[in-house]
Amino acid sequence: MTLPSRLRSPNPHLGAYYGIVTAALVSLVIMLAMFEQLGWGRPALAQTMMIVPIALYLLIAVGARTQQADDFFASGRRVPPVYNGFVLAAIAVGGAGFLGYTGTAYFLGFDAMAIGLGWTFGMLAAAILFVPYLRKAGSYTLPSFFGHRFRSRLLRAMACALQLPPTALLLAAEIKIAALIAALFLPLSFAVAVVLIAALIAAIAILGGMRSVTWAGSAEFLVGAVGLVVVVTTVSIMLTNLPAPQLTYGETFSDLEKAEATSGVTPLRPGTPVAALPGPAPLPAMKPYLQPFGILLPVEFLTLFLSLAVGTAALPTLLVRSGVTSTVAEQRRSTAWGLLFVAAFAMTVPAMAAFAKLTIFREIALAKASSLPGWLTELSDMQLLRTGDVNGDGAIGAAELLIGRDGIALALPSALGLPYVLTALMATAALAIALAASASHLFTLAASLAEDLYRTVDRRQALPRLAAARAAIAATALAAAVFLAIADVDPLKTALFAFAFAAATFFPALLLAIWWRRTSKWGAMAAMATGFTVILADAVFGRALGIFGSGFSAPLASLIGASLALMAGIAVSYVQGAPSKAELDYREATRNPEGETIHDRAQARAAAAAASAAARVEQGTATDGLR
Amino acid sequence: MAVERPESDDPARHRHQIQTLILAVCILAIVLLAVIVVVAALSWFNRFGFLNFPLGFYLLAQGLLIFIVVMAFWFIRIQERIDLARAESEEWVGR
Repeated sequence: MTLPSRLRSPNPHLGAYYGIVTAALVSLVIMLAMFEQLGWGRPALAQTMMIVPIALYLLIAVGARTQQADDFFASGRRVPPVYNGFVLAAIAVGGAGFLGYTGTAYFLGFDAMAIGLGWTFGMLAAAILFVPYLRKAGSYTLPSFFGHRFRSRLLRAMACALQLPPTALLLAAEIKIAALIAALFLPLSFAVAVVLIAALIAAIAILGGMRSVTWAGSAEFLVGAVGLVVVVTTVSIMLTNLPAPQLTYGETFSDLEKAEATSGVTPLRPGTPVAALPGPAPLPAMKPYLQPFGILLPVEFLTLFLSLAVGTAALPTLLVRSGVTSTVAEQRRSTAWGLLFVAAFAMTVPAMAAFAKLTIFREIALAKASSLPGWLTELSDMQLLRTGDVNGDGAIGAAELLIGRDGIALALPSALGLPYVLTALMATAALAIALAASASHLFTLAASLAEDLYRTVDRRQALPRLAAARAAIAATALAAAVFLAIADVDPLKTALFAFAFAAATFFPALLLAIWWRRTSKWGAMAAMATGFTVILADAVFGRALGIFGSGFSAPLASLIGASLALMAGIAVSYVQGAPSKAELDYREATRNPEGETIHDRAQARAAAAAASAAARVEQGTATDGLR
Repeated sequence: MAVERPESDDPARHRHQIQTLILAVCILAIVLLAVIVVVAALSWFNRFGFLNFPLGFYLLAQGLLIFIVVMAFWFIRIQERIDLARAESEEWVGR
C-alpha cells in the first residue's frame, strides 16, 4: 500500500548531500584559482569549471531515476520546502533573468527595478492565491487541474494547447542563453551548443521526471547562488572594502555619477527616443544609473511591474511544482522560500550593475583611445563589447562604448582585473540557473502533452504512461533545438513576452476557478480564450497597427487581456447558470487544507476498487474449481 | 472524489473561507499600495537618504522586496492559524 504523502519523510541526508555539493564547488574554485596562478590556460580553466558541475547534475539525475508515476510527475510529494524553493527561484529568474536583468539594470539603472519587484510580488501572489489550492488538488499538470475542476476534457485539452506558447517560449529563451554561455566558454559552435544543451536537459528530465528535475535543479540553484555570491562579494570588497554588496553599493554612487558625467552621460529628457528595454546587440549606456523614470515613465514602470507579477503568479512551470511537497502548509512555505531567494537575487542585481558601470565608466573616463585598458581588448575578443574612437577626439566616451546586455555580469570580474576563474565561475552560475529553468520548462511542457493530450486522445493507451511522457520530453527537446536553429530569439524579451502570455491566459481563469464558486466550464474557457486572443493579437498585429507605439506593448496587452478575460469569464459564467454539484464539490475539497490531495485519494480509491475486483474474480475462479 | 458538505452547511468552514479571503485581499492590497505610493512619491522619498542611498531608490531596490518577504512569512503564520482553527472545529464536530 502506498504511504500517504503527509506521512512520507524526505531523505534525512539531503542537507549533507547538498552541503557536499556546495563544498565541492568552492573547492573546485579554489583549486582552479591555484592552477591559474600555476599557468593553466583559460580554455582549460573554463572547461573544467563548466564540465565538472554538468557531470554532477547528470550524476544526480541518474541517482534520481524512477519508474513510479508519483515520483516521475510529483517527485513523490516529499520535497522539503527549502529545496522546492531553490527550484522555484531558479525557474522564476532563469538564465535569461540572471544575465538579462543585470544587463537591463546596467542600461536602465533605476528604471529596471520593475523587473525584480514584479518577480517578487508575483511569487507572493502565487503563494496566496493559487499554490495551496493547487497543492490540495494534487494534479500533475495545470491543464489537468482545470479538467478535474470543471469536469471537462475539452477544457483540459484547451488549457494544454494554450500552455504551449508561454512554456515553449521560456524553454527556447533558456536553452538559448545556456547555449550562448557554452559557446562563449567551451570549444563549441552555437548550433552544437544548442543541441548539447537540449540533449542534457532532456536526459535529466527523462531519467526521473520531476524527481530528477528537482534534485538536479537544487544543485544547479546552489551552484548559481554560490557563483553569484562569491563574485559579487569579491567585487564589493575591492570597491567598498566590505563584503556586503547590497548594503554598500550606495557608497559608490557619487563616484558613479562623476564617472558618468565625465564620459558624457547626461540625464535623459522624457520622450527621448530610446528603446524601452535593451536588446542583446551591443549598445551604448546613455542613461544615468540613478535617474528615476528616464526611459520608463511611472505608468510604464507600474505596467511592467504588474505584468511580470501577474505572469509570475500564473506561470505554469511554477504552478506545476505545487504538488511536490507533503502538505498544503509546506507548499505555502516552499513558495515563501522561493520568494526569499528571488528577492535576494533582485537585491543583488542592482549592486552588480552599479559596480560594473562604475568600473567600466571610471576606466574609460580616464583612458585615451591610444592606450585602452587590457580588459577592454579582452572583452572585445570575447565579443562582449565593441569600442572605438568614432568622433576622433582621442578619448572613448560613453556613446563609443557598446556593450552586450547579456555580457555585463560576465564582464564584471575581467573589468576589475580579477582572476579569470571568477569570470568562468560567473558563467557557470548563469549556465546552472539556465539549465535548472530550461529542464523545468521542458518537463512541464512535455508532461502536459503526454498527460493532457496523448492520454485523452489515445484511449487505447498504446504507450505506457511514463514511456509516453519520456517520448514527449525527447520530442519537445528536439523541437526546441530545431526552433532555435531557425529563429533568432532575444532571451530576455522572449521571457518577458512569455510572462505576459501567462498573465493574460491563465491568471484570470485560475483566479475564477479557485476563488469564485459560480465559475462554469464555459466561463473558464471564455476567460482563457479572451486573454490568449488579446496577447496573440498584440504579438501579430500590435506593432503593425501602431496600437502601442512605445515598444512596450506586451506588458500593457497582458494587463488589458487579463482584465477583459476576467470580465468575459464572469459574464459567461452568469449566463451559463449555476455550476454542477460535482464542480462545486471539487472546489470545496480544494479549500480544505487538511488531508490527502484529491488526486491521491482518487488514485487510492481506484486502486482499492481494482484490487477488490481482482479478489472477486479470483474467488469466483476458486469456487468454480471446487465445483 | 470525496463529497464534502456545501460551505453554507458548516459555519466553521464558511468562517475559514471568509477569513482566508480577507487575509489574501488585505496582504495583496497592502503590498500593491506600498509599491504605488513609492512610485508616485518617488521624488519626495529621494529627498531623504538611507545607508548612502536616496530613499526612493532604496525602497524600490531593496525596501519593498524586504517588505514583501516579511509579508509572505507573516501571511503563512496567520493562514496556518486560520487553518488550525478550522481543523480543530471540524475535529470537535466529528466527535
